[in-house]
Amino acid sequence: MASLFQRRRNKATQVERVRERRHEGFLRYAGFRWAKISGGLCLLIIVSYALIDVTPRHNGGSWYGYTLGTIGAGLILWLTALGYRKRKMTSDHWSLKAWTSAHVYLGLSLIVVGTWHTGFQLGWNVHTLAWVLMMLVILSGLYGVIVYATLPAALSNNRDEMTQMQMLEAIRAFDRQLHSAAQPLTPEDTAPVLAALDEDPFAGGIGARLSGRYRNCATAAALRTLTLSRSSDTEAREKVVGLLKQKEAALARLRQHLRIRGLLEIWLYVHVPLTFALIAALSAHIISVFFYW
Amino acid sequence: MSFILRRISTTKTGKQIVRDQALPGDTITLGRDAGNVIHVADLAVNPHHATISSGDGRMVRVAAQEGLGFDLNGRSETVADIDSAAGAELRFGGHRLTIAREDDKIILLVERIDELSQSSKDVDEAKAFSLQGVMPGKRVGAWAFGVLMLLAFLIGPIWAWHSYKNVNERPDGYHADSAWLSGPLSSAHASLKNDCQSCHVEPFVAVTDKACVNCHTGEHKAMSMAHANAPAAMLLAARHPPGVGEKILAGFAKTFNKPQGRCVDCHTEHEGAGPMAATPQKFCADCHDGMQGRLKAAGHPTMLADASDFGTGHPEFRPLVRPAPGGKLVRTTLAKGVVDYNGLKFPHDVHLQATGGVARMAASFRGRYDFGKKLECENCHRVEADGVRVKPVEMERDCAMCHSLAFETVGGVTRTLRHGEPDQVVADLTAYYRSTPPSRPLQLGGMERRRPGAYAEGQVYNIYFNEVATRPSRAQDAVRAVFSKGGACYDCHTIFAPQAGNSWRVAAVDQTPRYLQKGWFDHDAHKETACADCHTAAPASKASTDLLVPGLRQCRDCHVGENGARIVKVETATESPCAMCHEYHSDGGKPWMPARQRKKKVAATTNQPIPGTYSVSLITGPEGRGLYDVTWRTPALHGARRGG
Repeated sequence: MASLFQRRRNKATQVERVRERRHEGFLRYAGFRWAKISGGLCLLIIVSYALIDVTPRHNGGSWYGYTLGTIGAGLILWLTALGYRKRKMTSDHWSLKAWTSAHVYLGLSLIVVGTWHTGFQLGWNVHTLAWVLMMLVILSGLYGVIVYATLPAALSNNRDEMTQMQMLEAIRAFDRQLHSAAQPLTPEDTAPVLAALDEDPFAGGIGARLSGRYRNCATAAALRTLTLSRSSDTEAREKVVGLLKQKEAALARLRQHLRIRGLLEIWLYVHVPLTFALIAALSAHIISVFFYW
Repeated sequence: MSFILRRISTTKTGKQIVRDQALPGDTITLGRDAGNVIHVADLAVNPHHATISSGDGRMVRVAAQEGLGFDLNGRSETVADIDSAAGAELRFGGHRLTIAREDDKIILLVERIDELSQSSKDVDEAKAFSLQGVMPGKRVGAWAFGVLMLLAFLIGPIWAWHSYKNVNERPDGYHADSAWLSGPLSSAHASLKNDCQSCHVEPFVAVTDKACVNCHTGEHKAMSMAHANAPAAMLLAARHPPGVGEKILAGFAKTFNKPQGRCVDCHTEHEGAGPMAATPQKFCADCHDGMQGRLKAAGHPTMLADASDFGTGHPEFRPLVRPAPGGKLVRTTLAKGVVDYNGLKFPHDVHLQATGGVARMAASFRGRYDFGKKLECENCHRVEADGVRVKPVEMERDCAMCHSLAFETVGGVTRTLRHGEPDQVVADLTAYYRSTPPSRPLQLGGMERRRPGAYAEGQVYNIYFNEVATRPSRAQDAVRAVFSKGGACYDCHTIFAPQAGNSWRVAAVDQTPRYLQKGWFDHDAHKETACADCHTAAPASKASTDLLVPGLRQCRDCHVGENGARIVKVETATESPCAMCHEYHSDGGKPWMPARQRKKKVAATTNQPIPGTYSVSLITGPEGRGLYDVTWRTPALHGARRGG
């Protein structure tokens, strides 16, 4: 018996290895298994909704509504458990990849489960609030899936085979060179250079991070000032200007890197807090139904 | 006086190497320029930043040269006198100048304390490159949002409930539990929108009938009599076997304490603003569809036929009829040959013919009555004031226009026989013959002189005086004539000849006011339809015993099931749930229906004159044929003018 399980496990590991080799992502995991399952679930719900005659009309309080509501609440809790599951790594046949694949597709099917549960009766109340939060969580997740599928390529192109720390190190090197090259400059010219040196490459709020536009960039300002300045020794200034240009390029690469990483991460700042808001609103929704039964 | 410049460098192993260098002269310059005695390679330091001098070898004066000052103990200064024995720390840009005194020598220690640039500072890679640095943490957000939701939408509403727990009526204003409102209340309950507790009294207890009855006092019984009188076992047996869905719902209901059979099971709320929805057909059909078989199987045989949907599954009507003259009323299934004795003789066919005597008589009365070229149903049948049912036919109002009972005119006033009182008819006729002389024969007129005494039979006075003598006994003949074939009474009534101790008797007339006792038919709602469209047998009916109540077949020409189910072809379908005709609570009233589904009530009632009757119509004649607005006027009695 034990050997039977052993063999089965070996087989599973083998299948997993094949998948690894083909670089099968969570979206196309096991030939879109979970996409098919959740698609089937949605189809089943839509068709049965149309066929089943509920009196006086479809809403969350009919037997059909209760069924969908229970499925939906269960799904929400299970989907939330991904946050726990991902911290417990295993390579078994319920791998994290399988779990993520199911999370994505079952999460999308929740649009149908939740919306059809409402019977399309929406209003300004806690019940609709829970639905809205659920939709926001799903939409942010959908955004996450899309950026996970598209942005890593851009991230890789931008890095140009550098690590993050190498990008930062390049800036540090230009800073050092700038510091020594700027020594002969007049105080008027050193001030902008000093400001450029004082600039934190990681500064800027969430807006600057995501847009990649840094309006008060001191390096760009120093470059502008020194290009126009006539006060210092020309040769020294030219050298500083050249260094500033190089630093600006390095900074641009780092900022693009930060921007793409920001876009890859920002949805989680919506997805996770709203998930807990959703669970709270869902509890209020369920308790309210039974409280005013 | 000598200054010593001390430099400290740190080896890779962390070991510090101290190098001292004596500086020449009493005044030492400090700056970025290479020509300074102390050269500080710091962009934040001016080329010739400051001079350091000492007069007595103890006090040190530091003076800034080019406007830019220095920091002394955290304050910005341009000149400072420092006791070297006490020591001090000065800051020039990113460098620190420490002044101290050792062995009568002033030690100047210069070291870089700031990083060369901001980027040179150490960073936590995981934090700096991700959004952690610029966004509030996810965990914080999760907690904040979660707690906010629970406060606003769980604690708040429960608090609102708690604070008005034993209050009869809540004050106006916002109550947190209105966030729980699952849908708008019906218009009747709209005022309770802020007062959830008026119905949801106890938490986790489904709305009870008690909450309804608190306001709805005695409006109707909880159940119709028919249902309330039935044993509970029978009612339970009548229910159809639950489907999958109902099993689920029943499971929910049982698990979460939601008893069945409450008012709110049918009178559903929170289904949208506007009037409360009528009870759906399914509520009835759940039991009545296939009920006979189930009840029989359960040992409760019933006469009730199965009904599932008006369009497809409804038993034939069972009107209340009198199967024999003078017999009792019984409910009988409508079928060909069912008779209803109301005591009258009335051939509908003769009265409704387009040609013939009746039509000609009606046509001759045009202008006097609302008759057309022939008689119409509404010329004789009037509806009740509410328009629902048809009034029983009354002789004086509905027949006497043609069927006159006049027998004499006295000074222009017509005397008629008293309808409905045969004894009075006999008395009136007898009195008439007793009190009036016969008309004078022609032979007795003129100026011709005649001999008296010619009274014997065959003689001239005998014509008149014999008549006078025998006149009172003529009354018997007249009475007999009136009650016999060809007489005024006999035409319409069944007459019983005088028997021992009895005078002439007329069979009682009993017109059934409502044939369909279990359903509700509203004539007013159907007044756009011609009578004969439903009462199809009327134009050809030869006897008044023909039952002219329309059958299911006629209704189904327009009425289909609640969801449009039908057996026959219907052009303009009217979806008809059970509640359109059947009243569950059996309080005798009209079945309730939301206002928007009701037909507009525009029926002119029989006893009201139509507007304008007394003004223009006197000149132009009545407008239209006014279906139900015939008013009673004294019949014109041609026969009376001729002397009876």
